[in-house]
Amino acid sequence: MEVSLPLSNRVEPSKREALKPKNNSPVQPFNISTASIALPLSFILAGLLALFTGASWLVLQPEILAAYHYNANAIAATHLFALGWLCSVVMGAMYQLVPVALETKLFSERLAKIQFVFHIVGFVGMVLAFRVWNMKFVAAFGSIFAIGVALFIYNVARTLLRIPKWNVIAAAVASALGWILLTVSAGLLIASAKTGHANFMFHFNPIGAMHAHAHLGTLGFFIMLIVGVSYKLIPMFTLSEIQNHRRALVSVILLNVGLAGSFVSILLQLVVKPLFALIIVAAFVIYGREMTAILRARKRRALDWGVRYFLTAIALLAPLSILALILSWPKLPLNPFTGQLENVYGFVAFVGVISFAVIGMLYKIIPFLVWFGIYSKHIGCTQVPALAEMVSEKLQRLGYGIFLTALAVTIFGILFSNAMAVRIGSAFFAASLTTLALNVGKILSHYFQPKLAPLAAPKNYDRNKN
Amino acid sequence: MPEKIVTLDVREDIRNGREPFSKIMSAVAELHADENLLLLAPFEPKPLFGLLTRQGFNHLAREMENGDWEILFSRSRGDEALIEKPEIPKPKTDQSLLTSAPTKMIEVDARGLEPPQPMVKILETLASLPHGAALRARTDRRPMHLYAQLEARGFTGQTEEQNDGSFLTIIKSR
Repeated sequence: MEVSLPLSNRVEPSKREALKPKNNSPVQPFNISTASIALPLSFILAGLLALFTGASWLVLQPEILAAYHYNANAIAATHLFALGWLCSVVMGAMYQLVPVALETKLFSERLAKIQFVFHIVGFVGMVLAFRVWNMKFVAAFGSIFAIGVALFIYNVARTLLRIPKWNVIAAAVASALGWILLTVSAGLLIASAKTGHANFMFHFNPIGAMHAHAHLGTLGFFIMLIVGVSYKLIPMFTLSEIQNHRRALVSVILLNVGLAGSFVSILLQLVVKPLFALIIVAAFVIYGREMTAILRARKRRALDWGVRYFLTAIALLAPLSILALILSWPKLPLNPFTGQLENVYGFVAFVGVISFAVIGMLYKIIPFLVWFGIYSKHIGCTQVPALAEMVSEKLQRLGYGIFLTALAVTIFGILFSNAMAVRIGSAFFAASLTTLALNVGKILSHYFQPKLAPLAAPKNYDRNKN
Repeated sequence: MPEKIVTLDVREDIRNGREPFSKIMSAVAELHADENLLLLAPFEPKPLFGLLTRQGFNHLAREMENGDWEILFSRSRGDEALIEKPEIPKPKTDQSLLTSAPTKMIEVDARGLEPPQPMVKILETLASLPHGAALRARTDRRPMHLYAQLEARGFTGQTEEQNDGSFLTIIKSR
């Protein structure tokens, strides 16, 4: 793959040759700046709003999880979580993180702003259309959403083409782009099949198609990005380094291979399903070993709450893997209990692993974005608050405990089709999210009331130094 | 159109150890559209230049005979005639001042810190950087968020990856 610095991408290919020698220099050109903070924050706040809506919905209608998931409300709620909460936050964060992590500049901030509109209209319309089970509207709003996703893929792909040096993080981001393209295409095909178009889809078992689509999005986009991005962020936050680059790369490759095989075997309901599930589990084991090695080598002993949320979430990949291996068994009968086990599987993946990990990362990203947006220009002129002062650790600790309680209670409720337990679990879940909301409010209060103090010693005004 | 000049003298404040930043910023905020600010300071207040440039001001800095500095902040509108204002006889531009013999290097080691501490450490050192000196900053990562901050403060930075995997950024006045 040709790698080139940002400069060369603005030059036509014919002229690019002449520039080449310059680009081999390790010196970064100076035209690099980071994207504005309003863009990622808009995506993130929209995502948080969807998350609250989703949690409240589960409190009001716990049957969504207490009954088998092939029904309008369960599918609507799943898309509210997957598109409204997770996609919004992940995409917004990626517009900020990918350029920084991969040392380049976002290809176009304007395209990202346009995507925001398609994204919001698309996912809100889709969720409402699923709820009333109007597949024509699902397809229509799905197409609007897909235009947004296409803009996202194009924008991030063009950004990847600019990066000076490929590494495991870039490989994971590139893979995630491929998988989300497939996820959205598969989703649109399923919706068109249900409106009487795309007739070839009738060759597939509808539940197989739905599960294949769900695995593409969950593993290919969300978990792929969690794995890839954590190879950058966990060393950054714990003051460590990747210990074995090859091992890290192998985890990403195995995840890709396992997912490709799983997609086909889930879609066609093949007996080789457990084999590919095993490959994915192997990817997680290798990922876990590299993460453990990174943490062992860390220079900062104490872990902050954002990192703890994240590490707890990825530790939940272990029970999730066991569930996956059980459910992938081709001889497994589909009865009410195994049906509920599938619900638990989806719930642990979406809420236990992905949402918990994303909340942990948000506890690092939101304070940084707001701090950077408000205070970076004042550094050296006035005293700016430290990043750690922007969140309440007490609330984080409380939210962490409540979240794990919510998870346990809800899983119990799902497993035994007990709507009341799901309702109580969801209420705990909403309570944990309230601690998050309070903390986000605390962070955002700096927007309206920046806390600047004069420098203690005006060393920058020491005339002797001039 | 004749423009008025508001003079603000912060030399006494600074000599008495008082922080003049908020005084300057409130004077700037109170300026009318047709007013410019003449700031008198005991040294060249570099950190201000970037801030006020973003608020739409040009600056002309000149060292006076007693070693103090006077700086004219005028609203940018491409009006070059301002340079010939009688109140500022033959001002030297910032640019010409900077080309004069610089090479003192100040070192900052910002390794082993969690973001955004490396940036804070570098920018705080930069604020007290002696005139004409340059800064060599070592970091664990390429300082992606730093460049725009440097530019806003009238500096440029060039980063090179070192053999040990760390990064060295040389920061100079523009």
